[in-house]
Amino acid sequence: MTYLLLAALFLVVAAVVAAVAHRIAARRAGPPGTRPIGWRPVVLAAVALLVLTAVFDNLMIASGLFTYADAHISGLRIGLAPVEDFAYPLAGVILLPALWTLFGSRRAR
Amino acid sequence: MSFVYLAVLLVSAAGVLVVDRRFRLFVWDGPGRAAAVLVAGTAFFLAWDLAGIGLGVFLHGAGPYMTGLMLAPELPVEEIVFLAFLCELTMVLVLGAQRLLGRAAVREDGPR
Repeated sequence: MTYLLLAALFLVVAAVVAAVAHRIAARRAGPPGTRPIGWRPVVLAAVALLVLTAVFDNLMIASGLFTYADAHISGLRIGLAPVEDFAYPLAGVILLPALWTLFGSRRAR
Repeated sequence: MSFVYLAVLLVSAAGVLVVDRRFRLFVWDGPGRAAAVLVAGTAFFLAWDLAGIGLGVFLHGAGPYMTGLMLAPELPVEEIVFLAFLCELTMVLVLGAQRLLGRAAVREDGPR
């Protein structure tokens, strides 16, 4: 269960940091012409990333690039890919756009 | 020593960067801002990887496609390239989707 717990932990960290980043950015003025990213683009990107992950993670594991200690993973897999691997792109699509929004905002003068 | 995996990663990254540049989505929209996101994102994923390695979850494979150059135990140099690529791909997909949805909305409204 170690990998599952680790994945859950980093997902929570990503969500918390993203929420804080959105909060701060909302209070600041953005440069003219930038809109915050709505949920629809994030959901679309997430679907694409999860599909890509399913395909390429399997290819990479089948190619022998890396393996997992059976004792530490939940054992749930999509093909060869442990479900915990899908937490990476999910965390990324939550965290990165939030950071991008924050870095594009300016402190109100 | 093989450069196959690294080459596949770099070619994939180049493809995504071409799209980024063509549509001025991310790096070509604001390079400083993009660099900050890429560094922060890669550091986040790297911390995750290192935690997994430390806990004994991940094991570097003995397969024939990697350079064998290691940055740390069980951490090949290709992993940093992959993580940075994942961050770039994520932002290009998100900002690309935003651009496409914005265009679709404009078309629905029709000319004013």
